[in-house]
Amino acid sequence: MAEQVLKAGKALDLKYQPGFNIVTFACLVMLYAPIAVLVFFSFNANRSVTLWTEFSLDWYASALANENIRGAAWVSLEVALFATVCSTMIATAAALATTRTRPFSGITAAYMTINLPLMVPEIVTGIATLAFFALMGNVLGFTFGEANLMIAHTVFCIPFAYLPIRARLENMDLTLEQAAADLYATPWRIFRRVTLPLLMPGIIAGAMLAFIVSLDDLIITILVARPGQTTLPIFILGQIRRGVTPEVNAVSTILLGVSVLFVTLFFLIRRHDKGRG
Amino acid sequence: MKSLLKTCVAVAALTWGAGQAWAAGELHIYNWGNYTNPELIEKFEKAYDIKVTLDGYDSNETMLAKVKPGGSGYDIVVPGDYMIAIMIKEGLLLESKPNEMENFENVDPLWTDVYWDPGRNYSVPWQWGTTSFTVNTEAYDGDIDTLAILFDPPEALDGRINMLEDMNDVLNAGLRYLNYPRCNDNKEQLRDLAELLTNAKPHWRTMSYGTIEKLTSGDVDVSQNWNGASMRARLQVPSLKYAYPKEGFTGWMDNVAILADAPNPDNAKLFLNFIMDPENAALISNFARYANGIKGSEEFMDPEMLDAPEIIMPAGAPAPDFVPPCDEDVVAFYNKIWTNLKK
Repeated sequence: MAEQVLKAGKALDLKYQPGFNIVTFACLVMLYAPIAVLVFFSFNANRSVTLWTEFSLDWYASALANENIRGAAWVSLEVALFATVCSTMIATAAALATTRTRPFSGITAAYMTINLPLMVPEIVTGIATLAFFALMGNVLGFTFGEANLMIAHTVFCIPFAYLPIRARLENMDLTLEQAAADLYATPWRIFRRVTLPLLMPGIIAGAMLAFIVSLDDLIITILVARPGQTTLPIFILGQIRRGVTPEVNAVSTILLGVSVLFVTLFFLIRRHDKGRG
Repeated sequence: MKSLLKTCVAVAALTWGAGQAWAAGELHIYNWGNYTNPELIEKFEKAYDIKVTLDGYDSNETMLAKVKPGGSGYDIVVPGDYMIAIMIKEGLLLESKPNEMENFENVDPLWTDVYWDPGRNYSVPWQWGTTSFTVNTEAYDGDIDTLAILFDPPEALDGRINMLEDMNDVLNAGLRYLNYPRCNDNKEQLRDLAELLTNAKPHWRTMSYGTIEKLTSGDVDVSQNWNGASMRARLQVPSLKYAYPKEGFTGWMDNVAILADAPNPDNAKLFLNFIMDPENAALISNFARYANGIKGSEEFMDPEMLDAPEIIMPAGAPAPDFVPPCDEDVVAFYNKIWTNLKK
């Protein structure tokens, strides 16, 4: 009997479906082969991004020495850091308000509003934001200037930060917080000493997601950016029409390295936490 | 949550304040990406003690979308010919009267009375070029000066062709091959055009803007191309030759203009006058490899540009065809043909 159940379980398990290995392999190749090609040609001595000659690190040197690339990278990081900090704070507050309160009328509406940027096509958000800032400038004569871009990024990063935080909150054992309350801890103390430490992995995951999404964004950025605010994606797009050099591959590889580093760090922190728990 | 928002806004306001503190002499340029010689900018900054910021766009349409609502913060844009016409019509450009500026006498008379800005009240030439195609003469050594290479290719080039992923460039080439007028709303002629393109498509390998990479890597042997890009590709692969098809080819010019809501119009006017100086115009060309339309700039140009067959047109070649923006209904037809072709 037990064996039968085990067999039935095996038959239903996705991993044992026919063709699973092939589909998995095809997906992995489609996902990572282009990235491998991109990294490969960043080490090309030739000017071409398609024709291999010999190994060289020249493009890394020239990318790092290129003032425009450095400037664009700096703008990207500045905006991404600001957007990450602000959107994660707002998302944490929003996640607490939608999970740690008694269900209030309009909670679905609130939930929808928070996640709206995920569902609205980016070009719509971009044009709307551009028009909004322009209107504010024309009618009220008021502008945030270069902070326009940071505010826009904060807004569309919120749902990305919100989702992992909310997921973590929903899975957290409520009895711990109740126990703390039973022991006469004030709400603030419960939050500081119980909720927040337990929530930290969710917050870190949300912040990283927000950071990557902000770093990556092109459409909203291109419309909202002020003079001098060329981010890396805008810079790279501008190169395409006039011929891409492996310099762009080198920059992309460095960006990829940063992303991998972030994900690895996150993974290690989590494993360390789990091991301790 | 409210106080968090407040903090965010406060930080934002501070950042904004810090940005404003720099404003002494400023100029904000919005040009095509990788199109502006950094030496030119440095020279201008030193000459007038003006801090220049430079951002890039990838198409006329991106630029238009961004500056149209107003308050973009840019002073100078560099639209293509037809886009200048559109922007003047929509009141987006400042009537800066370059024709009254000191260096205007250097502008080649060929470029002073153009359809997109008659008499040059709004814009000055940046660079101009042609859009035709490049052939690898090692793959095919017959006559390349005909659009048949693209639409009815010889066997050696069958399936070895890249077209630009650009509606106007592809459709206008087809209209020229059929000897039909541009901006065409004749339904029968458009049907012929659609048929020509559909029949030619199986002979094409790709549609892409990455012409230099495609040609130099040997991915294709023919590519629709801009003359400056063709020259840069030839410096890597000497057997690449730029064609001047007898049926005609597109001419284009990018022009420097000041936005109607430019924050620094006076500095922008200085820049317009500055680039009409032959020595500075040569800096522009030496970087991006296109001609500039300023008399006397040849003297300061790299020698390899002066005898480049891509830049200097042969005597027998037809005059480049500058195509004005078409009416809305024509554009609607074009869009239909293009969408069908790309399916």
